[in-house]
Parts: sequence; structure tokens; C-alpha cells
Amino acid sequence: MDRSATSPSALTGVVRGNGDAVFATIVRCAAALILLGLGGMVAVMAWGARGAFATFGPAFIVDKAWNPVTQHFGAAAPVFGTLVTALLAVALAVPLAFGIAVWLTEIASARIAGVIGTLIQLLAAVPSIIFGMWGFAVLVPFMAHYVEPFAGHTLGRVPGIGPLFRGAPYGTGFLTGGMILAVMITPFISAVMRDVFLSMPAVLKESAYGLGMTRWEVVRRIILPWSRTSVVGGIMLGLGRALGETMAITFVIGNANHIGWSLFSPGNTIASLIALEFPESAMGSLKFSSLMAAGFLLMLISLGTLVCSRLLLRTRAAGR
Amino acid sequence: MTVAEKQPVPAAISVRNLDFYYGANHALKNISIDFPQGQVTGMIGPSGCGKSTLLRVLNRMYDLYPGQRATGEVIFDGCNILGPKVNLNVLRARVGMVFQKPTPFPMSIYDNIAFGVRLHERLDRAAMDARVEDVLKRVALWPEVRDRLHDSAAALSGGQQQRLCIARTIATRPEVVLLDEPTSALDPVSTARIEELLDELKADFTIAIVTHNLQQAARCADQVAFFYMGEVVEVDSADRMFTAPRENRTQDYITGRFG
Repeated sequence: MDRSATSPSALTGVVRGNGDAVFATIVRCAAALILLGLGGMVAVMAWGARGAFATFGPAFIVDKAWNPVTQHFGAAAPVFGTLVTALLAVALAVPLAFGIAVWLTEIASARIAGVIGTLIQLLAAVPSIIFGMWGFAVLVPFMAHYVEPFAGHTLGRVPGIGPLFRGAPYGTGFLTGGMILAVMITPFISAVMRDVFLSMPAVLKESAYGLGMTRWEVVRRIILPWSRTSVVGGIMLGLGRALGETMAITFVIGNANHIGWSLFSPGNTIASLIALEFPESAMGSLKFSSLMAAGFLLMLISLGTLVCSRLLLRTRAAGR
Repeated sequence: MTVAEKQPVPAAISVRNLDFYYGANHALKNISIDFPQGQVTGMIGPSGCGKSTLLRVLNRMYDLYPGQRATGEVIFDGCNILGPKVNLNVLRARVGMVFQKPTPFPMSIYDNIAFGVRLHERLDRAAMDARVEDVLKRVALWPEVRDRLHDSAAALSGGQQQRLCIARTIATRPEVVLLDEPTSALDPVSTARIEELLDELKADFTIAIVTHNLQQAARCADQVAFFYMGEVVEVDSADRMFTAPRENRTQDYITGRFG
């Protein structure tokens, strides 16, 4: 670059100092640091997990045992618990979030929608430990005394789905965990859904109403098909959060290494297992390495979900 | 309905002393106008003068938005449609609307038409096929899409999409069709086709069209209404409006002195 000034107003003239270059370097470093952090984290997890994978091989992922006495560890139960609670949470949260989003965008007046919308966002700001305490103090006894006995006597006798609702009503367990997670991810899913619904061209909706459609028909036949990909992306975003949530679920999951049909039975998730056992495992021990390996699996599952969600949400920006 | 006799044609829609408000903004001021049956009424005037607002009153589209309200009377089929007991889904099926930009639904060409029909009628497969074919022929789209009825409507060109939207609107057999600048987003060829189409459609439908194109109003409309600042300045036959308007403001507008 030739910056010799031929005339005072030359476009190629040197600008005041080289602040731009310094600034560019600083922000570049900031961005690089993030990449470095992510890469370092993956590397550390993989390195820490090598002991477990070397000892148990790929079978670690499907092994149900978690026995510190015999030094035999497997991740199947916490992986199972993680997936079950997260999927339960999504199943419970999606209809709720969908209802909220439709109400906010199609039915509520602008003023009320603004207020309620903000309140729902605030729900997302509640620290997860608060959800954990609320879950343990309120939800668990309620489930143990009312919901689970009742469901056991009714749904538990329905052929096919019966086994899901049988078992001792501890209160803690997969179902309670899924419910807590559902409350926590509903704000995220409904926020994405609301944004997608709002981004829909008004004339398209008006054309639909113009043919004499009812609100429900417009939502079901026009808005949903139009926004399907982004809605699924939003759901994946919620799923990602549910998979990684730790504190709240540790309080209500029951913390037992268990795989089974009953949604009432206590279990654990990868995150709750690590939260409970990591502080009491010796650095460099096989248990320590197994926990790192479980964490590595959780990271893979979460990253996979997030990538899916990004891809789906991106098609909205690009297409249509 | 025969329109053979030239003289007094009964009104499909009669607007009487209509006032309309967007919140505090008084957008239509004491409007009275008749839309004669089987005729094309063109609505012209500068932007923001209330033409489109009037269309949105005629099928109560404004109801979707809080803060918008209308007072006065709009008589359609002997009933004041501004009244509280009106079934809006039925009203909107009988008073259809086509928008400025084509708005195909995210579904196939066939379903774009069949969908609206299914809301109001139960037809068997053969009858539905016949209905779809019939309306697509009427909008002169059939030869272009007959082999790809089940492809997405989004793949059609702008002009084709707009004809599809008109087909979709007339497929539910409304009595009145409202068109809000239907050709402003289209090329001249597509525009010409849609204008021809209007001429054929008025045999079966009463048509109200908002347009910024004065030639279009002169070509298509039987009756023209000039709107200015929320008022109807003048309503007359297209011939008289464009050759010998009574009002100075109309004269100024159609000769391009303001707009």
C-alpha cells in the first residue's frame, strides 16, 4: 500500500495514527480467545477422559454400571437420564410455549402482550438454583403426595403406557426433573416462536383471514407451515438448554444410577452425576476420568443439538 | 344478475356516513358511496387518502388490529356489516380480497385454491378438481400450471402468483371482490392480463379496485371514486370523471397537478 500523499486531500493519505490497526488487533484477539477456550475445553475433556475410554473402551457409553467399589464405571444410566428428562421437558414445554406465542402474537392486545412478554423473559432470568429449591420444597412433595399416586392409579393401569406411570411415589425422579426443566426452557422456546410468528408478512395472514379462516385455521394451516423450520430450531435450542441444565435437576432427580420404564423412579443425568461426584473423586483416579468422559459425551450431545438448531434457524434467514 | 339495463343498477354494497379511526387518527370522514352490482368501481387518489382503508372496512379486515374502529353503516345483503353480530368468517368469504403483493400460501398450487373452498364447502375429489380447473381457467393460468398443480406455489412468477391469488379468492364464490392495487408489483404484460381478467369477472362479481394508475382506472372501471384526505370528493362514471370532472380537486389530480 502506497500511502505517499500526492495532495493534501488524497484518499490514500495516512489517517490520524494507527488506532484502527490496534483496535482491529484487539478485537481479533478477543475472538481468537473464544475459539482457543472452546478448543482447549474439548481437548482437556478428551485428555481427561482417556483413562476411562482406555479401560472400558466404547462400551463405556452403553454400560449401566457405576460402582466406585469395584472401580467399574459406565455412562449408560446418566446418558439415559439426560435424554429422558430433556425430551420430557421438550414434550411438556412445546405445547405451552406454542400457546404462549400464539396468544402473544395473534390474540393479546399490544399492551398486554408487551407486559406478559417481558414477564416471560424474566422467567428466563431466574437463576437455576432457585428453580432447584422451589422444585425440592414445593414440586417434589406435591408430586409425591398427589400427582404420582393419582397417576399411578389411573394412567398406570392403561395398557401400553401403564409401565411409565407405575412405581413408588418418591416425588423425585425423571418426571419431576422433566417438569422443572420444562418450566425453565419454556421462555426460550416461546421467545423464538414469537419472533418467528412476528416475522411473518402481515398480508399473508390477512389473505388467510380474507378467505374466511378462523384464527385456529390460520395458525394451523398458514403460520405453522410457514414457520416450521424455525420453530423446530427454537425447540432444539430449548432441548440444548435442558440437556445441560445442572443445578435444578440435581435437586429433584433423586440421584440414583438407574434405567427403567417408570417415570417416577429416581435417576440421574450426566450433569447431576458430575455435580455430585466430581468434588469427591481424586484427581487422576479412574472415577475422575470416567466423570470427564461422561462430561465429554454431554458436550458432544449439546454441541450436536446446538448445531442442528443453528442450521434450522439459519434456513429462515436465507430462504423464503 | 343481469346488467343488461344501463340505468339504475342496485348496489351490492352501500356505504353510508362512514367514519374510520386508526386510534386518534380520523382516516375516513363521513363517507357515502355505492358499489353497483356487477360493475367495477375504481378508487383513485393520492397515497394516504383512505382508499385502502375503505377496502379494509368492507370485509372488516381492520378487526384484526386493536385500536381501529369504524362508525356509520355499510349495508351488504340487507345487513349492516359493522354490527356486532356479524360472522366475520362468512363475511370475508362473501367479500373476497386480493392484495398489492401476491400472497400465495406455503403449499401447492392446487391446495392454495382448494384450501379456501374446503373452509366453506364439502366437495368430493372430482368436484374439487373441477372447481380448481375452472377458476384457473378463468384467470388464464390453467395452461401454465396444469402439469404442476402439486408443485409449490412459491415457484410461480409474480404475475402468475397474483393470478393464483385472484383464482383463490373467486374459488370460494364471493359476491364482491376487493382488489388493493393488484398490479402495482407486476410487469406491464401481467398487468394487462389482470385488467382483461377484471373485465370478464365483473359478469359474476361486484369489483372494487384501488389503483394509483389512472389509465388503469379509466380502462377497467365503470364507476370511479376520487378520494382526497379521507373524503370522497367525487363519484361518477369513468367517462365523465376523466373528461369532465365536476370538482377542481379532481381536475387537478387527474391532470397531474398534485398527487
